[in-house]
Amino acid sequence: MRLAVMDALQAVREQGLKKILPDKPRLGVGLGTCGEGNGGHEIFQGLADNLENLGVDAHLATVGCLGYCAQEPLVNLWVPGQPMLILNRVTAADTEEIAQALAYGKLPTRRALCKISRWDHLTGVLEYGSGLDEVPEWNQIPFWAGQKKTVLRNCGLINPEDIEEYIAVGGYFTIYDVLKNRTPDQVIDEVKKARLRGRGGAGFPTGNKWEMLKKAPGERKFIICNADEGDPGAYMNRNEIESDPHALIEGMMICGYAVGATQGVVYVRAEYPLAVMRLKRAIEQARGMGLLGSEILGTSFKFDLNLVEGAGAFVCGEETSLIASLEDRSGRPRPRPPFPAQKGLEGAPTNINNVETWYNIVPILAKGGEWFSGTGVSTSPGTKVFSLVGKVKNTGLVEMPLGSALKQIIYDIGGGTGTSKKVKAVQTGGPSGGCIPAELFNSSVDYESLAALGAIMGSGGMVVMDEDNCMVDVARYFIEFSHSESCGQCVPCRVGLDHALRILKLVTSGEAREEDLATLESLAQMIKETSLCGLGQTAPNPVLTTLKYFRREYLEHVQERRCLPTACEALFVSPCENTCPVHMNIPGYLQLVNEGRLEEAALAVLMDNPLPASTGRVCQHPCESRCRRGDVDEPVAIRDMHRFVVDQAFRPENYSQIVEQVAGRQAKDTGRKVAIAGAGPAGLAAAFYLRLLGHQVTVYEARGQAGGMLRYALPEYRLPESVLDREIGLIQKLGVEFVFNWRLGRDKTLAQLQQNFDAVLLALGTWKEVALGIPGADLRGVMTSLELLEAVATHETAPVGKRVVVIGGGNSAIDSARTAVRLGSQVTVAYRRGRSDMPAIAEETEAAEAEGVEFHFLAVPKSILGSRDGGVTALEVSKARLGPFDLFGRRTPQVTEEVETILCDTIVVAAGEKVDGDLVRQLELELGPGDKVAVNPLTMETGHPGAGVYAAGDVVHGPANVVMAMGSGKRAAAAIDRDLMGSPRLSRLRPEINYQERVPLVPMGGGRHHGGQVAVPERRNHFVEVTVGLSPEDARVEATRCLRCDVKASPAKSEAAKLAPVVQEAVR
Amino acid sequence: MNGKVVLMMDRRYIDAHTGETILEAARRHGIYIPTLCDLKGLKPVGACRLCLVEVKGVNRLVPSCLTKVSEGMEVVTDSERLRKHRLTILSLIFSERNHVCSVCVSNGHCDLQELAQKLGLTHVTLPYRYPRLPVDSSHDLFRHDHNRCVLCARCIRVCDQIEGAHTWDYAGRGINSRVVADYEVPWAQATSCTGCGKCVQVCPTGAMSQKGTSVAEMAKRRQFLPYLTQMRERWR
Repeated sequence: MRLAVMDALQAVREQGLKKILPDKPRLGVGLGTCGEGNGGHEIFQGLADNLENLGVDAHLATVGCLGYCAQEPLVNLWVPGQPMLILNRVTAADTEEIAQALAYGKLPTRRALCKISRWDHLTGVLEYGSGLDEVPEWNQIPFWAGQKKTVLRNCGLINPEDIEEYIAVGGYFTIYDVLKNRTPDQVIDEVKKARLRGRGGAGFPTGNKWEMLKKAPGERKFIICNADEGDPGAYMNRNEIESDPHALIEGMMICGYAVGATQGVVYVRAEYPLAVMRLKRAIEQARGMGLLGSEILGTSFKFDLNLVEGAGAFVCGEETSLIASLEDRSGRPRPRPPFPAQKGLEGAPTNINNVETWYNIVPILAKGGEWFSGTGVSTSPGTKVFSLVGKVKNTGLVEMPLGSALKQIIYDIGGGTGTSKKVKAVQTGGPSGGCIPAELFNSSVDYESLAALGAIMGSGGMVVMDEDNCMVDVARYFIEFSHSESCGQCVPCRVGLDHALRILKLVTSGEAREEDLATLESLAQMIKETSLCGLGQTAPNPVLTTLKYFRREYLEHVQERRCLPTACEALFVSPCENTCPVHMNIPGYLQLVNEGRLEEAALAVLMDNPLPASTGRVCQHPCESRCRRGDVDEPVAIRDMHRFVVDQAFRPENYSQIVEQVAGRQAKDTGRKVAIAGAGPAGLAAAFYLRLLGHQVTVYEARGQAGGMLRYALPEYRLPESVLDREIGLIQKLGVEFVFNWRLGRDKTLAQLQQNFDAVLLALGTWKEVALGIPGADLRGVMTSLELLEAVATHETAPVGKRVVVIGGGNSAIDSARTAVRLGSQVTVAYRRGRSDMPAIAEETEAAEAEGVEFHFLAVPKSILGSRDGGVTALEVSKARLGPFDLFGRRTPQVTEEVETILCDTIVVAAGEKVDGDLVRQLELELGPGDKVAVNPLTMETGHPGAGVYAAGDVVHGPANVVMAMGSGKRAAAAIDRDLMGSPRLSRLRPEINYQERVPLVPMGGGRHHGGQVAVPERRNHFVEVTVGLSPEDARVEATRCLRCDVKASPAKSEAAKLAPVVQEAVR
Repeated sequence: MNGKVVLMMDRRYIDAHTGETILEAARRHGIYIPTLCDLKGLKPVGACRLCLVEVKGVNRLVPSCLTKVSEGMEVVTDSERLRKHRLTILSLIFSERNHVCSVCVSNGHCDLQELAQKLGLTHVTLPYRYPRLPVDSSHDLFRHDHNRCVLCARCIRVCDQIEGAHTWDYAGRGINSRVVADYEVPWAQATSCTGCGKCVQVCPTGAMSQKGTSVAEMAKRRQFLPYLTQMRERWR
């Protein structure tokens, strides 16, 4: 049937509406490529069978995709009079339940993700129905809240294979109106008024492009739709064509009318078979109704559409090579000018627009250019579809007004990573785009803002990356892509990218030198400035942006041969080893335990980690979060294992032997003298290694004993004093000298130390408590957590009352709370954020709860109330709720009006520690924020005018944890030794121990073994150590649970890994 | 096509014919712009990127072989930035294949060698790729040595545009691109080849040479090309 008059079009619309809103239930199964891949066909068949078996009369339809990939497969279910339900993650097994519900006249509302009561197709509005209050409306769920559907207006709701459904929602009414009521110039004016910019990425104003084509001389003109979507991670064009092919046809018809072109071509990449099939079908249907061909809709307008499948070259997305490909020549770009608008396909003037640009045309003509430009920002009006993929919870197609903030897209809509890992960066625009770091997530997403950051809008791909993504590896991946897709015509792109890729491969394999980075940067800049076409001009963007925002990572690869995100295989032993700040060879000692070689295991552990018994008890164990066994069941109990190894070695009967073994590895005396200020974990670690390397080491300590926070802030029940004494005793036995009750500045100045020693290491720690800054903080009964913990540690009486409130959520807050419990108090912890945001070790929080500590989350301290005699009576906290996301995906607490009063007589402030500013400010050091000492992060060298002053530990990186402090102390020791002796020597200390290199073929050892815990009633009244170590039997089995990530495929490589130094010393 | 425009080039005013490229105008006024893929008589392709110049008001560098002059245009043909880019591009070309002048038939008659001398490229800091590439000696008269090829496409263009045979074209992509005869067959088997030898004469390096020449003996004769094109223009 040919449509010529309005009545005919209306009649088709009525017919279509009977399919979308029939007088019986309608089920629409999302069958884009994504839905098909997720088992959509089985669901469709399952629904068909079950509905038939149960005798349910329903209309079952294929629909496109709604774009919420993470919830696929999606099924729409509509029953007359009710809102439409969107059922998510439907499986074939669910189809019976759905059919049964319908058979009983019920709706499976519990299975529904959301409902749609009313939908604005922009060319028409559909009212589905109201009610079902228990199901959220579609735009109330986070993924869709804030989205604006213009391009995707029909996707996932209508049957893409049925032209009647497209007409039912107002399709082809716009072209009818255009043909009957508007002149071509009026159409172009409307598009210009909308200020629509090309959605392929370059952002050229579409209206101007059309005008150029209209004005170009010549009878024959072509318009082309560029659907050669080749960016890794971008698939919006595919979904648009698969879900709503007719909107593309109508958009191109409007253009054809406006510019006087009678032939349009759609160039679709051959990798999109479903899009090709549906668009072909749509073109046939449109031809059948007289919408394509001649005398369209009863006018003299003539227009037809051709579909051409691409041959798989990425560069064919570039317009001149696309035209070459259409002309049966090989897809290579040619220089412009002449532009396609002057000389394009077959020499005739040609206009090429991206798929998504075409999808904006119908809404602009239907609703007006002004309506369109009302969305977005003035330079970039309208919406843009982004494909949100990578390390993000809610993957999918997101259509946002341009000018939205990146963080809104990634956190509000994407939901962040959905894991405990933080988002690190987002790559926009695929291989031509750039990596934008999380610190810049406040930036607006529009053409100019993204270009200013060094990225591009591109087709709209957004690949989210988290801490596990190595940015050098990301750059290497994209350059490898561009390198293989380069056409090879121009020298910079062809040869320049080859050299860039060569250098990146050197970096990721740890063979690059620093000057290679300079070469890489200048090559990248040169390629960008001199290449012939857009591919070469944008290909270096991933390199340039990662070098700009993540140079530190490049330097780690080059100088330390370390890939901390654990991606570049040659640059780590195993994920656990790589994550450990002191780089313990974890798989190595686990294997030694497995082989029953405990003595050698103990030596290996000690040479990597000088305080293994303490860390075996209190370490934050970042290693376990990266353990791959965790992907199978639970991570290996790494911390408990090295505690076990060392506890065995430190038994009285073995102690002298281990001391002897360690001392046996000592280098001969160098005659160099090193002073270390501070006997905390950082200072002790440095002292241990420097002494072993043959230097004469003196440690100065302000307090009466060594150990720092380990001794004075960690309670006895977590770390018994006797354990610490044994470790420090070993360091003393090696010949490290200790001077106690000595203060820097009071007893000796830094200058004096410099005179008497060849090098000075400042490991001063963070011993000042951050003040709360609320009224009443000076009342009697308010104390800091350090005051409380130190008093208990030095066996003084701690002045805590009956009811204690601890303010804070870190480890010292929990330590204070559990200490107070042991002193007989009733304890409450007030923390301003939620439980999942607590920095404290999760096991500690759980143990505290078991001991009766009460937790108040989202409680922001407001004021401390006191009695007339100056004592504390209560803490007032404001209740908070979770507010907007910060740049790293943590929700900031927002204080509400609601206030709660917690009665108490003691308040322990554990809001965090900071550097003692008065102490460091007198030292002529370069200081960073919070008075932290600024150092070269690789060598720990300070900016002190005199040479040989280093700093390590909390005083450098702020209050962290024991093992981080030790890591920086160890790093400083390596640097000091190298500077004193001229070459790196630290790695020589490692004993060479051989063990089996075999990967278990199946995961062995069963579930994780835990060290026992003393029962709550027994432990809560005194300070006896709570955690009992693993039994030898359990330890042996636990060791077999290791999956041996350190064993590399080639024997040569695994040999190298075994010998890899603990901290790979920086090479200057 | 016979109007005149005045433009500024390297801070001096020069006149140029309408429709002329920046490169042509520069050459008539004795201003040197290095080129490699360009050859008078063939349509420019802008592949080598050596002739890039700065034009005021245009935010990227433009190839002078393809960009037409216009009234009031301000062109800079020589600057720190351009010199740096040209040296890098030249280094890239040298590093790409095996250019060993001392044993090359074109030693002393090579456009690439001459460019290096003119631009002062004394050594290449980028490592050489040293690819293993074949030499096609199947043809009776000519030799095709991929090791010396710079992919300027002069052979491709002269065969297509002047001889009309289109024997040569690119095959492969990116760094693996090569100039091949017909559907990648040995030259002697390329049925489209007329054996005219134009490709050999326009080749800037020793990639295409006449058989029977030894080191430094392959001097190319290119006079035919402007003559041919001029005659064709006249008799069209």
